[in-house]
Amino acid sequence: MIGRIAIGALLAVASTGVACAADPRYPNWPCAQAKVPEISLAAVWAGPPLDDVQDKWKEDPKISALVEKLAARRTPLDDAQKAITDFLAASAADKTTAGKLLFAGLFDSLNAQRSSVMNGIERVSRKQREAAEKIRADTLALQALQNASSPDQAKVDELGNTLLWETRIFEDRQRVVRFVCEVPTTIDQRLFALGRTIQQEME
Amino acid sequence: MWRHCLLSGTVLWLAAAAPASAFMAFVSNEKGNTVSVIDTDSWTVTKTIKVGQRPRGIEFTRDGKFVMVAVGDDDTIQVIDAKKQEVVDTLPSGPDPELFTQDAAGKIMYVANENDNTVTVIDLEKRARIGDVQVGVEPEGMTISPDGKILINTSETTNMAHFIDTSTRQIVANVLVDARPRFAEFKHDGSELWVSSEIGGTVSIVDPVKHVVTGKVSFNIPGLRSEAIQPVGIGMTKDDKTAFVALGPANRIAVVDAVNHKVTKYLLVGQRVWHMAFTPDEKYLLVTNGVSNDVSVIDVAAQKVIKTIQVGELPWGVTIAPQ
Repeated sequence: MIGRIAIGALLAVASTGVACAADPRYPNWPCAQAKVPEISLAAVWAGPPLDDVQDKWKEDPKISALVEKLAARRTPLDDAQKAITDFLAASAADKTTAGKLLFAGLFDSLNAQRSSVMNGIERVSRKQREAAEKIRADTLALQALQNASSPDQAKVDELGNTLLWETRIFEDRQRVVRFVCEVPTTIDQRLFALGRTIQQEME
Repeated sequence: MWRHCLLSGTVLWLAAAAPASAFMAFVSNEKGNTVSVIDTDSWTVTKTIKVGQRPRGIEFTRDGKFVMVAVGDDDTIQVIDAKKQEVVDTLPSGPDPELFTQDAAGKIMYVANENDNTVTVIDLEKRARIGDVQVGVEPEGMTISPDGKILINTSETTNMAHFIDTSTRQIVANVLVDARPRFAEFKHDGSELWVSSEIGGTVSIVDPVKHVVTGKVSFNIPGLRSEAIQPVGIGMTKDDKTAFVALGPANRIAVVDAVNHKVTKYLLVGQRVWHMAFTPDEKYLLVTNGVSNDVSVIDVAAQKVIKTIQVGELPWGVTIAPQ
């Protein structure tokens, strides 16, 4: 009974549930937003070149602690921008170097954060594809059981139940993916806003 | 800001023409389905007006009383009363209106309808549709020559700028430009037409009499892939000496010497910068940044970004009350 009701819905999930990748270069990318693997420095920074600072921000405990705080999305943007203003005002003598180090740190950290989110999205997308295939196979199996001349009701119920759970988990994950797809853009926006504050303070 | 106007002798006439208040800028938020009103004195959003679906093209009527906004997904143009700051009327258009332009007198309006390859002609006084012009596939950019005789419409798919005689409403010339022309702007003296190409990454300079491309503005930002440079909006100072070009996902406005067509400076503004408008005194230029959901304010004389204002979701166009 459970199985019979669910079948139509399950088939629909299995056939359309996994979003088709729009960009052939990234077959596992499920988001409507285009995948941009890395933020390029020039798109977010018009300040002095950062070639001479590279990884040096990690060596300065004060700066690396601030980078960690600013990069964390739980820190409200307004608070983060104020922290930048305060920090750079306090390093008046060497504002340019401090600003460069701070931005280099944010650029590295937020780009890394973004990559790990995007890898996660692709991992879930691959799992979802496997789950969709499993649902499809189980649905066909259930149909076969139901169509048998003398159906084994216990088996039908059991498989029907399994299918319901599989579908529920699948749909929950789909909703999460849609939400998580916004995260790389949120990180882009954060990096840009923080970089803009640093540049304004450096001028 | 207004204090400055009163103190400055050259713009004293403004005091007679307007009440003692700052300018008002109206920004269309494509995804938020709202229009943000910015006070250019305090540089804050003073009101958010709910409008139809997908507002894009936005422009004040010439008398400054109304703001018209194309709400593409509702297939219409809404009219906002600038004083009441609410939608009071709608104008007819074709399907999916995106951008429009008006003649110098503010009597006739031309609307580019992206979906049916036409430009709709509207009588603004009667608020009625009085005709259509067949143009190229996916009409986009719209502008009118300073003498009002020629309407320019760019077509996204055919990569052409169509020259339309406003009296006969017939196409009199087509000029091929670079890929996906998005926006067109005349010099105030009518000597040049500038057309931005989003995919081509250039601005073509067109001779409006001979109908030929006479030059091109190209852009180069070290460290940025060329495909990230997507010119869209163009703003020209009244003396025709300086132009500002919005470069989309390059997050920059290019400052261009409008005489020799060379870029003199790039200003980092916000993410995916799209369209722009000058304040009537030309002291400031406001540009919309779609991805960072804000508007940047540029000091025109200093060529510097002085302010960022958060607006609604996906800001697209901006218009500022005339004086």
